[in-house]
Amino acid sequence: MTTEDLTVEFESFQRELKSFILRMTASVQDAEDIVQDTYLKASAKINTFRGESSLKTWIFTIASNLARDLLRSKQRWPENVTDICREEALGNREFFQEAMQIREISPQGKFEIKEHIAFCFTCVSKSLPLEQHLVLLLKDVYGFKVTEIAQIIDQTEAMVKYYLHVGRSKMIEIFDHRCALINKEGICYQCTELNGIFNPKQKAQEELIKIELVREAANKAREQLFDLRMKILQELDPFESAAAELQLHHLEHNRQVMEKYLGETR
Amino acid sequence: MQNPTSNAGKATTIRKTFSRETSVSIPIQADPAIVWALLTNAADYPRWNSTVVSLKGEIKPGGDLELKSTLDEKRVFKLKVKEFEPEKRLVWGDSMGSRVYTITKSGTGILFSMAERIAGPLFPLFAGFIPSFDASFERFAADLKKEAESIQRSKN
Repeated sequence: MTTEDLTVEFESFQRELKSFILRMTASVQDAEDIVQDTYLKASAKINTFRGESSLKTWIFTIASNLARDLLRSKQRWPENVTDICREEALGNREFFQEAMQIREISPQGKFEIKEHIAFCFTCVSKSLPLEQHLVLLLKDVYGFKVTEIAQIIDQTEAMVKYYLHVGRSKMIEIFDHRCALINKEGICYQCTELNGIFNPKQKAQEELIKIELVREAANKAREQLFDLRMKILQELDPFESAAAELQLHHLEHNRQVMEKYLGETR
Repeated sequence: MQNPTSNAGKATTIRKTFSRETSVSIPIQADPAIVWALLTNAADYPRWNSTVVSLKGEIKPGGDLELKSTLDEKRVFKLKVKEFEPEKRLVWGDSMGSRVYTITKSGTGILFSMAERIAGPLFPLFAGFIPSFDASFERFAADLKKEAESIQRSKN
């Protein structure tokens, strides 16, 4: 394979790769850096690619290793990350002013509940142990098979299945407890709360009913509802969507809050 | 050790003057790595194991653990990991006794065994206060089997 072939192939899944790294790191800067470093490493090592896996699997392996190296030294986020960040945001006038400005002038400044569901998962899933987080994203969002994930994370298929099962179970439990969209007893209302702030003229219930996850909340089992939540992430590119700039601004706020909360510095 | 075929999943207890040993064995159609991962992830125990209320600490060589069991929810057992042989043998316990977990490859799966021996010169004085472990052991083994086989069967 030539470098030109690599470049063409890389570009075909670069968006997916960038979105994956964003969801792992919750940082636009880290996502951009890692995608670039991945390409450079792949170019330098292209002669070692023997076709034992697909090129995409090989590239995601390089990127995952770079992400893991970065994240190993950092703490995982707490499950109630969205509560902690909400409290900080309420006291941060500048955050809301910036958000309102994005809302008003940016073509990617819409607030959509569906996009916030994806954003919320990005934050909450960072409470999983790193390997479980990685495997869950690769399987349930980016569609890799167990055999491919085993190659990506250099583990046995048995361990990939273990990480996936435990990661999914943990996320299902958390969202069942927290998410008021799927559970009337849920403790988190941020999706509708923010919708009320950014779309005050909108009737929230009319918007909610358009989302299959919400529509089916009373009809489907927790595991099926989780699959519907993952479907939202599968269908959204966090960099290209109509709400991208607003959600990325929110994500950067949460990342900074977590850094301070966990006593970490960049 | 029980006959693994005829007594699969059924606990047996051997009582002596200065000791009591309960054991259970059950075949599990799963990769030993899955069974080992379940046995060594302390924080995850309450999710799959109906006999464990909480298990704090790290299951690693010499690791310190705090276990709350459904056998006596008011009590916290402070335990130490005494042996740790990946995918084969795990032993934890205190000065009064040890719980031994073993994983043995068997056909396309494994045979899981768990045994606990409580012993000592003062054993006769408190033996009457220790509840039977049989039902708890059977539930532990059944829960582990169910969870491990569910993971093994999950789609690719």
